Amino acid sequence: MKRNKYILFLLAFLALPCGEGCGGVLLATERTILLGPKTIGKAWKDNIVLEARHFKDVQPGDVLTVYNDRAKGTAQGAFQNPQTWQGVAPEYGYFGINGPFRMTMTEDILRIARTHGIAIGGHDYRILRVTVSDSADYRETIVWNGPAVVMKSDWSASAEIEGRCFATLQEGDGLRLHVSKVQEGAAAKLMDFTWNALDPSVDGMPVGENGITWYIHDRAPLLKLQLAGTGSNTAMRVGGKGYRLDQIGIVQFVGEVSEDLSSAQRAPKEYTLQPGELFHGEKYFPADWSGNLTINAAPFQKCTENDVLLISYRLDPAAKAAGVTPQLSLRNTRTWGELTGAAEPVWYPLDGNDVVYLFDAVALDAVKTRGFILTGVGFTLTKIELISAQ
Amino acid sequence: MQRISQSTAMRHKFIILFSFFFCVGCGATEVPEPQPKPVASYSLCNANATAETQQLWSLLCSQYGKNALSGVVANIDWNAREAENVYQWTGHYPAINVFDFINIHASKDVNKNGWLDYSDMTPVEEWHQAGGIVGCMWHWQVKANNGTNYTCSPGVEPGQTSFDPAKVNDPSSAEYKQMIHDIDQVAGYLKKMQKRGIAVLWRPLHEASGNTSEFAGGGAWFWWGAKGAEAYKALWRFMYDRMVNYHKLNNLIWIWNSQMNDYDWYPGDDVVDIVGRDNYYALQYPLAKEFKALQEQFPNKLITLAECGNGDEVEMSLWSDIWSEGSRWSWFMTWYDYNYNAGTSDEHQFAGEAWWKDAFNSGVVLDRDEVKGLMRR
Repeated sequence: MKRNKYILFLLAFLALPCGEGCGGVLLATERTILLGPKTIGKAWKDNIVLEARHFKDVQPGDVLTVYNDRAKGTAQGAFQNPQTWQGVAPEYGYFGINGPFRMTMTEDILRIARTHGIAIGGHDYRILRVTVSDSADYRETIVWNGPAVVMKSDWSASAEIEGRCFATLQEGDGLRLHVSKVQEGAAAKLMDFTWNALDPSVDGMPVGENGITWYIHDRAPLLKLQLAGTGSNTAMRVGGKGYRLDQIGIVQFVGEVSEDLSSAQRAPKEYTLQPGELFHGEKYFPADWSGNLTINAAPFQKCTENDVLLISYRLDPAAKAAGVTPQLSLRNTRTWGELTGAAEPVWYPLDGNDVVYLFDAVALDAVKTRGFILTGVGFTLTKIELISAQ
Repeated sequence: MQRISQSTAMRHKFIILFSFFFCVGCGATEVPEPQPKPVASYSLCNANATAETQQLWSLLCSQYGKNALSGVVANIDWNAREAENVYQWTGHYPAINVFDFINIHASKDVNKNGWLDYSDMTPVEEWHQAGGIVGCMWHWQVKANNGTNYTCSPGVEPGQTSFDPAKVNDPSSAEYKQMIHDIDQVAGYLKKMQKRGIAVLWRPLHEASGNTSEFAGGGAWFWWGAKGAEAYKALWRFMYDRMVNYHKLNNLIWIWNSQMNDYDWYPGDDVVDIVGRDNYYALQYPLAKEFKALQEQFPNKLITLAECGNGDEVEMSLWSDIWSEGSRWSWFMTWYDYNYNAGTSDEHQFAGEAWWKDAFNSGVVLDRDEVKGLMRR
């Protein structure tokens, strides 16, 4: 009983400074807006668009985090404008991946996000979850205050950061580079004291007006930094080109994680392709003609004229209600012309039954040479099978 | 218009008559696959080619259509790192190792702060002495517009170069002087090889047309193609003249790279020995089409797959499939993977273990030991 009283007293004592320090408000929470998995495969072919509704209440300074796995050493990520497929800011057009990657929202990015959503793309990794957290979830401590170093265009300049700056750095924390005078094509390289990049993902990472934040997700870079000790020895070198390095901060996540998935967007179900399947999943072809799918030539290398394509789909009730006639067409990947070489594209009206496509000599040559593009409106593609006459 | 002597004309008539009987005998129901011509039909454009060069040429001609020589490019510039990968995977070294003069500005013989030394022939000599065939290419970098970086990429951005290849016709221009300087520097390295009895498969000014001829809006991706076909051909002939006639480099077999639909960029039969194609959509069917198209366009030249590997969109077909589809490339050269060689990637981006094992198991791919035997070194 005495011990319980003591614990209650201690809890009250601990709660007081937090209540005051945080203005009496509970810590913000990191909430999930997309639940995967969504595989981002080779060659920048895959992406997923975060719906615009998720960004209604997001503020500048808030952070979008993409948790992922299965990233290859050369994997890259991207945050893109779904209308233009350009990076939402120059530094987000492409970047290396090592662990979860993040984007700090700005007014400009939010303008795109609230209108079109944000596409997450790249290659060679798998998205597990995407979250949004308030800027208040992150606490930053400036550990290096200059003197500022101008990174010249020939990569010859660098800043030396002493080991003591990283005394409190832990796995999961981020290193934030505060920069100014950013030029087009600016890039940073974060190195250990032996001039080797701390990680492939920070060997020339793009730098934007808002600087960069690199989160440390494994022990290896920490060990490299700590090898130099925590005193005045140089532990890290920051190089690059086209920007001025002003300050470095350590960013720590101090928020809570919400497990509420009620408003989360779900990634389409993923299937493992079976022999003969060229596509299996859900690919929406909306009424604005923006939907298309490219199948490369590899599966067709041993095809003959007697082989057929079987295309399965679900009709889109919304499109039908809007008066759109569901239809699809197969196109040449180079010219976007009709696959058979005909002057006018051939449209296959969709009535709910599978489409069976027979190859003629011209179409067969086209698919064996460069594959095809499937385009159309008013349906969700579910499967494409190549059925061999053999 | 070429003149044909009377005896040549008679021979042509005989061939036509013979062909007629041959076709009748066959029933002529099937169109035969285009096959490479007999060895004697091909010749080097440099009449003063060294004995070693002629020997290498004879080897290429004798194997053309029967076997393909295996090849790799160096890991960026001046080494046989990729060849070691192939050996680790298969127990065979590829027949050809191609070095790249991409970093001549950083060679220690011209730059005290340089990080490699092209004047040190050790990597080339070791490869040659082990029986390997030496190839050289040149990502010819010049100063970028920002005045500090080096690049091949044409354009007006700071990191690109507006270096004008058409200035090859203007001896008073800075570009002309730079071209002479760089060609002479590279010629010095090639001369060292010549003095050591090393013949070189020489592939400069590659992929010149980029995708200029492939689709509307396409362009050159190297500065030497930025001013179109005529400027490019003039540059090629300028380099040929400077290297062969001025520097007396007689150890070079000249390889010109064709991109798609760029036959008007061809510098000419008198300055080209072999026509190459680079392909990173290297599937068996389109490769066979491209091989046949090149063969029809350049009937007097050997045809080679000068660069290949997995691309962004597809994985390269197995060599056994490429060969069975009808391609008869003289050799192939797979590209390097910097990340794999640095240990930051477990999977070779362009051609890994399985691909190379299939190639050597196909029965139609020669390795270094086999060409060493054929060259009787």
